[in-house]
Amino acid sequence: MVSVKIMLFATLRSKYKTRELTVACNGTLLNMIENASKILGPEFVDDVYDKKRGKIRDDMIIMVNGRNIKDLEGEITLKDNDVIAIFPPLAGG
Amino acid sequence: MGKILRVNLTAKSLKVESTSEEVARKYLGGKGYAVYLLYKHLKDYEKAGISPKDINALGPENVLIFATGPGTGVPGFPSNGRYHVMALKSPLTGSIGSANSGGEFGPFLKFSGFDIIVIEGASKTPVYLAVVNGEAELRDAGNLWGKNVFDTCRILRDKVGGKNTSVACIGPAGENMAYMACIMNDEHRAAGRTGLGAVMGSKKLKAIVVSGEEKVPVANPQRFSEVSKRCLDALKNNPVTGVGLPTYGTAILINIINTAGGLPYRNWQTGVNPDAEKISGETLAETYLISRRACWGCPIACGRVTSVKSGPFQILASEGPEYESVWALGSSTAVKDLDAVVKANHFCDELGLDPISMGSTIAAAMELNERGYIPQEDLQGLDLRFGNAAALVEAVWRTAYRVGFGKYLALGSKKLCEIYGHPELSMSVKGLEMPAYDPRAIKGIGLNYATANRGGCHVTGYTVSPEVLGIPEKIDPLKAEGKAKWVKIFQDFTCVVNSTVNCLFTTFALGAKDYAELLSAVTGWDLTEDEILKIGERIYNLERVIINKYGFDGKDDTLPRRLLEEPMPEGPAKGQVTELEKMKEEYYKLRGWVNGVPTKEKLAELEIEL
Repeated sequence: MVSVKIMLFATLRSKYKTRELTVACNGTLLNMIENASKILGPEFVDDVYDKKRGKIRDDMIIMVNGRNIKDLEGEITLKDNDVIAIFPPLAGG
Repeated sequence: MGKILRVNLTAKSLKVESTSEEVARKYLGGKGYAVYLLYKHLKDYEKAGISPKDINALGPENVLIFATGPGTGVPGFPSNGRYHVMALKSPLTGSIGSANSGGEFGPFLKFSGFDIIVIEGASKTPVYLAVVNGEAELRDAGNLWGKNVFDTCRILRDKVGGKNTSVACIGPAGENMAYMACIMNDEHRAAGRTGLGAVMGSKKLKAIVVSGEEKVPVANPQRFSEVSKRCLDALKNNPVTGVGLPTYGTAILINIINTAGGLPYRNWQTGVNPDAEKISGETLAETYLISRRACWGCPIACGRVTSVKSGPFQILASEGPEYESVWALGSSTAVKDLDAVVKANHFCDELGLDPISMGSTIAAAMELNERGYIPQEDLQGLDLRFGNAAALVEAVWRTAYRVGFGKYLALGSKKLCEIYGHPELSMSVKGLEMPAYDPRAIKGIGLNYATANRGGCHVTGYTVSPEVLGIPEKIDPLKAEGKAKWVKIFQDFTCVVNSTVNCLFTTFALGAKDYAELLSAVTGWDLTEDEILKIGERIYNLERVIINKYGFDGKDDTLPRRLLEEPMPEGPAKGQVTELEKMKEEYYKLRGWVNGVPTKEKLAELEIEL
């Protein structure tokens, strides 16, 4: 088991009234999300994970230590003290 | 077709010309048509023996153009409350002057009976231009000169009256010709970049007020109604334009760009700001937001109405700050007091200054000072050190009035750093300060900064969208390969948006095909997606031909040494530099340019007649 920090931003932060939380997980993103939902509420899973397709929702921006998971190759294994930042779709200019 | 109002401030003459459908088919309106007109001016000057290199940005020979496009002012055309301003030369850069603004001025210019206003020459005494119900007149502005932007807008709106009345003007910064002075409209909207406010000030043109109720023609109303509905629904249902931007405005980018390791901090010494949260969009919304505000015809409403309730930086009501303004005034300067950043931004609006260039110039001065390069007597008490909130706010004021150290700040960071012997500390390209994304962490935007015709500009080709935000698809910000094609297509498409003229934010939900359909319905032309992008490419290349004439070429398509040679010291992009040469080579090949100059074959392919 590893202990990771999840940081929430924008509408996720206002929805869950949480800026950051520490969760223990088995190192997979799905397990991390499931364990976070035990604190934030079951809706959190659907906000971030597409159960039908069995992967992270395409429109969400998830960064592990500042790197978007879409840019990382292979299976992602979280390590102790990793920081996972989760953003809803957003933009600016 | 359309009408051009040509104003000569030296002769105090006004002339009305028709737009040409042939030119509009090749260049659309807005930026495209303005680039075409500017090129014609250059040719005329050359025929008269005046070299483009000798044109003085603050001389009467500079030409200023306010342009709307076929989409402006058409009810139902998405987010079309915008206009584009161009000048032959920018005083800040010596390259082409170009800026874009929202609010109501663009549509109301159309309603006043004109599509484009061309300003030539210079007046000896302050004047303003009134364009009301198809009639135009130059009027004495003696009692307006010296007034701030807010008062100027209110006085002229009240004086002219009417339903659809808008004012574009300069504040004291433009009157004093601070090189980064901007043109403001509707109090808080800015045609911000490249110092066009100083150009207006040099011509002693205080303001343009427009008013009218003329309807904008649509060639195919039924087709337009169908396409418009589909596009407006797409904007509403898109999570960015329908939820993200309306809820948080643009400052929501602070945390994500910082997390990606690309939020420039302390004049770009690093891309990680430990105090980003304090100046974030979330904090702004929690602490200072009163309500949202929309430009004319826009369903997105990303504008923020804000106030600072108490303290030394108290403001009753303001708009913004936007992401780039927060970054420049807050992160690059390391000022973590958001209320001071809001106040500094408010002063930029009140006095008419570009907050990006202003903040970035202050940050450069802070680094120069901390390294001991500025004699203390020059500072005249202005304690410019990173993080000093009071000095930040005071510096804006002194720049607008060119007093004390403000005399130096008003020249922009490039000249400031040259004066103090360290040009490498100006984080600018072609003299225009780069906005809020470090290209060591987001490489494609670096190629765009280097090759943007107006200088270090992000909106010219906003590849941050695919590189960080994943729109329309996700590409790796740390890779240099494959970036050139993205930069080119974004640059070409942005020219279309700026020639339509409407808001770049629609492109988070709409593509070139949508623009082809919208414009076809409005104009009656049968435009395809490919034709639309070719028009954009044509505009980009003609603009490049103009800056080539000023002496800008491949050597100027570069980045500050810090971004090319100093590896990012920390964060997810630790150890990275920008790898520009690799990307540039690929880019020039795609563009059909050699050393930053379009080839004859490329110009012929684009049907650009020199």
